[in-house]
Amino acid sequence: MASVRERLDELVGEFADLDAREKLELLVDFANGLPPLTADYQARKAIEDRRVHECQTPVFLWMESTDGSARLTAEVAPEAPTVKGFVALLAEAINGRPTADVAAISDDVLDRMGLADVLGILRTRGLRAIVARVKRGFAEQAAG
Amino acid sequence: MADYVHPEVLVSTEWVAEHLSDPQVRIVESDEDRALYTQGHIPGAVEIDWAVDLQCQVVRDYIDRSAFDKLCSERGITNDTTVVFYGDKNNWWACYAFWVFKLYGHKDCRIMNGGRKRWELDGRAWSSERVSYPRTQYTAPEQDASIRALRDEVLKHTKAGKQLLDVRSPEEYRGERMHMPDYPNEGAVRGGHIPGARNVPWPMNCHDDGTFKPVRELEKLYIKELGMKRRSPTIAYCRIGERSSLTWFVLTYLLGFGNVKNYDGSWLEWGNAVRVPIAKGAEPGGSTAATPAPAMHA
Repeated sequence: MASVRERLDELVGEFADLDAREKLELLVDFANGLPPLTADYQARKAIEDRRVHECQTPVFLWMESTDGSARLTAEVAPEAPTVKGFVALLAEAINGRPTADVAAISDDVLDRMGLADVLGILRTRGLRAIVARVKRGFAEQAAG
Repeated sequence: MADYVHPEVLVSTEWVAEHLSDPQVRIVESDEDRALYTQGHIPGAVEIDWAVDLQCQVVRDYIDRSAFDKLCSERGITNDTTVVFYGDKNNWWACYAFWVFKLYGHKDCRIMNGGRKRWELDGRAWSSERVSYPRTQYTAPEQDASIRALRDEVLKHTKAGKQLLDVRSPEEYRGERMHMPDYPNEGAVRGGHIPGARNVPWPMNCHDDGTFKPVRELEKLYIKELGMKRRSPTIAYCRIGERSSLTWFVLTYLLGFGNVKNYDGSWLEWGNAVRVPIAKGAEPGGSTAATPAPAMHA
């Protein structure tokens, strides 16, 4: 099985040669593929502090590890398909792979996807915050 | 909509639905989240993005005239086209794009009342098809400086005690928060408001479905309660100029104020600028007086 980094590189590679419109369409495809929260997570959402406060829109993230295997579970408001698509892409790269691997996600992933040109600088700040939050969450899991 | 001072600038979702294939009309979507347009837009609508299309990438300013001509040409807009703007977030960015089009003197601009939210609530169709139109000829005049305030003008305006509106949330106005609730801090180093500014948060202009409140309620708010005068010069600002575009639209077109400017530099500029005074707290003059800068010569 590919490492988190290798899988992410593959996903980023899918974006590399696309024009702006195609990049947004691919993000929307990822957004549409993010499964809704199960009843269990819906219940936890109400009592746990899982909101990403740096982010423009309601985003709830769970970074969890079982037997050293990572799982990113997320809910993103439908009015923010860009954020939703990006979170779905991270989940695709992370889920089922070693928790300790997540730290290897490079901070320049957004630049390599060429999203700054499509979204502008202000919008990519929220996405950078998500990368940082996800890495920190899994680092705590790996340490704990 | 009939009671507004300039009712012709506001159209309903029904009007838009009836003009989808009208060659005289171009529907333009402007969103906070661009992928919303990609996911589904009003059939035949083109997208204009505030960050990528309207802002210059090498100067912190709007695109220049020739770039504006090119933008319109590529979207099949002529100088005579009726351009109808709509978008997410209660039409913030639609009003922002409308304002930039007015900056370049486009004659016939309109807002679709309620934006994406109202279109969705009305059960109207979305399309994800790519849209393109034959290129047109477009020639914009010089920027209309009468609707845009730059920093030095705002400084003179506030010193003269003229009408100034801060349309951000009360927390941002008081200086307790440097960005909208739940939004990232986009980089202002000080929190507070421009001295003398009254706080009228933008949501007071709108109903929950995104449509504008009736003229009586708007008059009560701005004219009866705040005592603002239609003829007095007015400047509105927010954090990066999008929410204040909405208030600029309301004052100018729905209430008929004669001289309203949007300060697009807004708090992101003012909260970082050297030697400009700020006020903290709930009062326009500030409850903890900031030390004014010594003699400032423009």
